[in-house]
Amino acid sequence: MEKPSIGLWEEAAQRFFKNKLAVVCLIIIGFYSLLALLAWFGLIASDYSVTTPESYAAPSKAHIFGTDIFGRDVLMRTVQGVRIAISIGLVTSLIAIPIGVFLGALAGYFGGRVDELIVWFYTTMDSIPDLLKIISLTFVLGRGLMSVYISIGFTTWVNLCRLVRGEFLKHKSRDYVHAASALGASHLRKMFIHILPNVFHIILINFSSRFILGIKTEVVLSYLGLGVEPGQPSWGIMIDDAKLELPRGVWWQLAAATFAMFFLVLAFYILTDALREALDPKLRNKT
Amino acid sequence: MVGGDRFMRRYFIRFSIFFLTVVTLGGCSNNKGDSRFDNYVHEAIVANVKGFDPVVSGEDLYSGIVMGQVYESLLQYNYLERPTHVEPNLADGMPQISKDGTLYTFKIKKGVYFNDDPCFKATSGKGRELEARDFIYSWKRSADPKTHSDTFWMFDGKVKGMTEWRDAASKTGVTDYSLPIEGLSAPEKYTLQIKLNKPTPLFLYYMTMTGSVALPHELAEFYGPELQNHPVGTGPYKFRSWTRNAEIIFDRNPHYREAYYPSKGEESDKANGLLNDAGKRLPLNDGVVFTEVVETQPRWLNFRKGVYDWIDIPKDNFDSIVKNGELVDELKNQGVVLTKWIDPDLTFEGLNMEDPVIGKNKYLRQAMSMAVDTSELIEKFYNGRAIAAQGPIPPTLIGYDPKRIDPYRQFNLEKAKELLKKAGYPGGKGLLELVYEINSGGVYRQMTEFFQQEMAKIGIKIRINMNTWPEFLEKTKARKAQIFGLAWSADYPDAENYLQLFYSKNASPGPNNSNYNNPEFDKLYEKASIMLDSPERNKLYQKMVDLVVEDCPYIFDVHRKPHILTHGWFKNYKRNFIILNYIKYYRIDVAEKAALRRKL
Amino acid sequence: MLAYVVRRTLYVVPVVLGVTLITFILFNIVGGNPVYQKLGKHGSASEIKILTHEMGLDLPLTQQYLFYLKQCVTFDFGRSWSTNQEISSMIKAGIGPSLSLAVPAFTASVLLSIFVALGLAFFRNSIIDRLLVVTSLGGISISLLVYIIFFQYTLSYKLGVFPISGYDTSWSGRWEYLILPGIIWVITSLGNEVLLYRTIILDEIFQDYVRTARAKGLSEKVVLFKHVLKNAMIPIITNVVLEIPFLYTGSLLLENFFGIPGLGGMTVQALANSDFPVIKTMTYVGSLLYVLFNLLSDLSYALVDPRIELD
Repeated sequence: MEKPSIGLWEEAAQRFFKNKLAVVCLIIIGFYSLLALLAWFGLIASDYSVTTPESYAAPSKAHIFGTDIFGRDVLMRTVQGVRIAISIGLVTSLIAIPIGVFLGALAGYFGGRVDELIVWFYTTMDSIPDLLKIISLTFVLGRGLMSVYISIGFTTWVNLCRLVRGEFLKHKSRDYVHAASALGASHLRKMFIHILPNVFHIILINFSSRFILGIKTEVVLSYLGLGVEPGQPSWGIMIDDAKLELPRGVWWQLAAATFAMFFLVLAFYILTDALREALDPKLRNKT
Repeated sequence: MVGGDRFMRRYFIRFSIFFLTVVTLGGCSNNKGDSRFDNYVHEAIVANVKGFDPVVSGEDLYSGIVMGQVYESLLQYNYLERPTHVEPNLADGMPQISKDGTLYTFKIKKGVYFNDDPCFKATSGKGRELEARDFIYSWKRSADPKTHSDTFWMFDGKVKGMTEWRDAASKTGVTDYSLPIEGLSAPEKYTLQIKLNKPTPLFLYYMTMTGSVALPHELAEFYGPELQNHPVGTGPYKFRSWTRNAEIIFDRNPHYREAYYPSKGEESDKANGLLNDAGKRLPLNDGVVFTEVVETQPRWLNFRKGVYDWIDIPKDNFDSIVKNGELVDELKNQGVVLTKWIDPDLTFEGLNMEDPVIGKNKYLRQAMSMAVDTSELIEKFYNGRAIAAQGPIPPTLIGYDPKRIDPYRQFNLEKAKELLKKAGYPGGKGLLELVYEINSGGVYRQMTEFFQQEMAKIGIKIRINMNTWPEFLEKTKARKAQIFGLAWSADYPDAENYLQLFYSKNASPGPNNSNYNNPEFDKLYEKASIMLDSPERNKLYQKMVDLVVEDCPYIFDVHRKPHILTHGWFKNYKRNFIILNYIKYYRIDVAEKAALRRKL
Repeated sequence: MLAYVVRRTLYVVPVVLGVTLITFILFNIVGGNPVYQKLGKHGSASEIKILTHEMGLDLPLTQQYLFYLKQCVTFDFGRSWSTNQEISSMIKAGIGPSLSLAVPAFTASVLLSIFVALGLAFFRNSIIDRLLVVTSLGGISISLLVYIIFFQYTLSYKLGVFPISGYDTSWSGRWEYLILPGIIWVITSLGNEVLLYRTIILDEIFQDYVRTARAKGLSEKVVLFKHVLKNAMIPIITNVVLEIPFLYTGSLLLENFFGIPGLGGMTVQALANSDFPVIKTMTYVGSLLYVLFNLLSDLSYALVDPRIELD
């Protein structure tokens, strides 16, 4: 008789920690998250908006990554950018994951009309080109970080929904669910207390990959003027600034934002891949 | 493994060949330089052209510039003399104006033909001769509610019967072009008579603007709304092609009437070589290629490669090529020339007088005005190439007072804080976040961040909102914008063009975007509007400026001083952006161009 | 089988309808008022009323939706708000440049990816494999924007290898303008595709028939090319087919930066100008293409591989 396999996690953890590269990435992400947290509470890089007369100063002891047009320290701006990047990953997950899981669960569990309706809905959503979806929402919601959160959150849940639906379809006819029914469990109880834990690994993998999408999208949005409001230093805004700065030989803001982003995104790619390997090698092709 | 090595080697070889071919192909064909267009002017436009219908896109700066090379108006501005003044273009001599100033009689030049085009079916494609009634037809188009013209304002309420003609058309839903307008008549083939409701000294300026050009009715009948992609005019150029968002090409008009390069100008013109082509027949070149390049970097880089003939130096490249006001040797040796100008324009922050917080509190506005350090703004964003504005009227305009000092546009943080206290918000306490609307993008974003920082120094919190141009327009037209960033470039050389921005009847959706409403100002404005230029009128102008300076509906920023680079082969550049039909005066020295381009 | 084909094909209809509904809600109901935009600086109250009526904005919403639906079906999308051009002619004009960039770049990146992926599968688990995988990942960890800015500055400006921006509408002249954006396209898609194809190929390699082939004494090269590649092509082609709908927008950023007057550049323009009819049309056409190619891929999969179960 099958039970929700708690053993899956112990096995997965073993497999995961054997992958040294993945562990390194986890540490890197942890470091970035710590920076983000500290920055959010104003404990570090709080002077990111302090202007100095040394406009466009090259990297030096005083300013490790130099300064921007207003003499603001680029390193501090980059750290604030970490805060924004991590927050985008977190908040969009908070929005998209519940939607995806909820709809996927409903569709997979109940089947029939409910399933048809939900599948129709997400097929429709999915057929609209991603960037256009997100940008259209910013038209409606206005600009700024809040809109970025909401528009990315409300348009990127489809993949997760599909996977969750697939899992629920598989699991709903399993023995342990029948057993729960026999014990008089309600639909909700069966869905969220019994089946859902078996889907956590998918959610975790999706959560990890979401950061990548969010960070890259923010850069494009900020370039198009549809992202974070001016005054907030996101990596996207720094790269947009760099567009004008490069011809005058100012390369440090571009370098700082690109490197910061590079390590974080690469770490997430490797982590996501490692999570897949560890949690369910069979899922490699799908998430 | 032996097999494996050969395997990999073959992969590597094939891949490298592919890569190298690609790169070589790219590199080889870079210096093509299509020689067909060597004697064409190459100009980069910084925004996308909307279309070539003069009554629909006439107000759009770049569409107007491009159109202005094909379409012509009755009058034009003199190219060399300063201050510039109107002179006849399609008109045969200046018009006769009746003593009461309400009747204008224009004689049209004879023997002026429209471009050859298939729309002239009656003459098998040959352009028809221009007549006075062509102007009547063209102006009726701006009054036609169906065209949704944005140039109708120059006739609305000014030419007798025009507003009524339009109202009749909107009521019935059908526009009948055969219905006459009382104030427009062509008593003879080449005579145009215009009756105005009241004396309007500015009317002659309107007769230079894009909204007043002559367009043949055959064009509209043949192409319908597609005429906006296909201009047919009387000008020195003829339309060849338009690749949307990329390139517009005009060829020289082989049937252009006789028109000549001016023989006199300012004192300095001779020394600057601007009279070398005096008396030569226009246009001096074979055509023009306009390239729409919105991004600064590609535009700058292409200028350096000799693709464009001139450019306004972008702020980010300025410091590396201009030292101590002089061009660096590297560019001088390439034959590039630096010239410095003053544009009659004004950049400003508009404050909405109808906003409950900002509009009702003069001290708040004055406080904000005194907290902006314009000299830092000029240094950071204009490389020192601007003058701090001391009022709404920019230099070179009739009515500009170079000695005026605006007490509220002096940078003084202490005074600003005091005023803020007087306004009821000591240290910014109690004041909610103010919202600053801008029309997005690169440098402008940085400039608004600067404004944000300046306001923070006295405790005012600013939130910046990026908008697309239509969103921005919508907010300002609907009077929903609290603070908004804008610029206004002079349409004609009279200060009235700026004073009208404060006339209460022009409030949104008109050009008075701050919705300034001062009955005293209005009285002075109405009085001055029927006066010709005189010391008495100037006194009225200055009184109006006094009122506006005190009330601060705008925070006046700067008047820009463009630094223009021209390549050595490009002759006769003399800047005045009120003059739109300038391409015909440019000359390309083809031999010099070939020689200099090798050095780039 | 036939029942599946019919059912699957008919399913396109509700999906496309759903797309029109969503775009309609987004743009017509929640989006802004286009009237001010069209009237520019000098709109008066009476003009506003006239234009509102002309644009059909004073009709009840259901009627507006039906009108929009008719437009979608007849492919007559009306005129752009900012340029007043017919949108269908704008699309016709923009397709050429977009495809001129997209098709060669896409083909190159697919071929290159298969190339590299095969090589990686061959050298699986070696240092080269791990290194190239990480490099691929690294390549896609840098924003497209950074590549554009950097390469345009160094290769076009400093080294003068490529033109900085612009386009030539003639057939022979356009290619030199497309090379640099093409290269950037390939670099930024390589990462994803290499990893994906590598996975697909590796999956095949671990199948039984491969072991059999090797046991028969066939060389690794033959095994890879004759057997593995052929079988891997099915999922690879499926993937390629699904990517095709996204080609039609070219790349929004590449076209914008390099001044290529294609559909992507047109879309960016429309976004900057709140030009809803154009944005709606691009969204609709994009969805239509996606749905159709998905259909194609599903159907061909079903035809090609009888092992596939259809639900």
